[in-house]
Amino acid sequence: MDQAVLARVPEVFARRVGPALGLADEADVVARACHAMATRFHGGGRLIVFGNGEAATDAQHISVEFVHPVIVGKRALPSFSLTSDVATITGVAATAGLEEVFAHQLRRLAAPQDIALGVSSDGGCVNVLRGLETAHRLGLLTLALTGGDDGGPIGRSPAVDHVLIARSADPRVVKEVHVTTYHILWELVHVFCEQPGVLDPRVVP
Amino acid sequence: MSDIEALYPFLYSGSSDLDAVMTSVRQSTVEKVDEIVTLRRTVLERDGDRIAACAAAMAKAFAAGARLFAFGNGGSSTDAQDVATLFMNPGGTARPLPAFALTADIAVVTALANDIGFEVVFARQLAASAFAGDIALGLSTSGNSRNLIAAFEEAERRGMLTVGLAGYGGGQMAELGTIDHLFVVPSASVHRIQEAQTTVYHALWELTQQALAKAGDNDDG
Repeated sequence: MDQAVLARVPEVFARRVGPALGLADEADVVARACHAMATRFHGGGRLIVFGNGEAATDAQHISVEFVHPVIVGKRALPSFSLTSDVATITGVAATAGLEEVFAHQLRRLAAPQDIALGVSSDGGCVNVLRGLETAHRLGLLTLALTGGDDGGPIGRSPAVDHVLIARSADPRVVKEVHVTTYHILWELVHVFCEQPGVLDPRVVP
Repeated sequence: MSDIEALYPFLYSGSSDLDAVMTSVRQSTVEKVDEIVTLRRTVLERDGDRIAACAAAMAKAFAAGARLFAFGNGGSSTDAQDVATLFMNPGGTARPLPAFALTADIAVVTALANDIGFEVVFARQLAASAFAGDIALGLSTSGNSRNLIAAFEEAERRGMLTVGLAGYGGGQMAELGTIDHLFVVPSASVHRIQEAQTTVYHALWELTQQALAKAGDNDDG
């Protein structure tokens, strides 16, 4: 076997450790995001998820996580991904442009009590940003999973209520932190949902 | 007592104090981060050399014209689609490689499931589209999905290079004994298994790219 490939393996794994540990530093942001999401679910909201490329698969993963919990006995929570409707995505992209696809879908499908969650590994996806801005105008709770140093334009947008940043320049490492992040979001949303006494929308920690 | 009750016992003692819940869930995030960092270290120690060997075999197959077919159910179907798009459209200077997710064509999946049964949805697609030397990559957390087992059996019949990602103890994917490169993530948490599997296929992709680039350099020299 190629010794250079073999020698690279420890470095590949080592590159994950710092960004993974960085999520622990975001524990308070995660807790606040989960409380806000649980409050929306409690009020009849649904979780709408979107992203491009590899993040499109995260969007689908997040929605199936909420709709079909892996832990037996956990309540199914309403969620869907905007990335599964290839006909609408390619249709809107071919006419209004790819920048408009998620905003277009949200304008037709979202209700004010819903939750919009955009995933972008560098925080620079224009269609994800426009989707979040549209969702914010419609009254949705908005969240973003981003990466890089400061979360990019999405991370800095005033339209996003809760931003979780995976601090790595490697998009694959960012994705791995995102997977852990949304698994934790799912589990901790349920902790809040099982304590309806803390879900008064007037209580904002 | 449920898992959640075991983790957050005070929640069931009648308290609904928001500050207490916030403190508890913050601690939960820290614990889960520790779990995945530790689990990845275990995967590296157990399977680091085998990941390199698998990437070398995949690079050799791609150099010979192979295409990669990825498959899985539920959350693992999104991983299969992630694998396919990572190889197909990696961005930067990485080399795009032919890959396809067997969950992407919902017409084919629902037709096979409706007419024959869900256990054949991946195997039938491999029978129709895959050649000897192509790569079959299946992901499961339990290792027991019947449609994955059927797909790996079909891949074996067709002479494909087979790569499997499983969790727990490997389940039936391990019992098959025919998967060329099987990586079992030793955890009982579906979530941590998926997180470590994502690292494994990212490592396979990166090392495959490196092996192909090196082979290319040698060709030029």
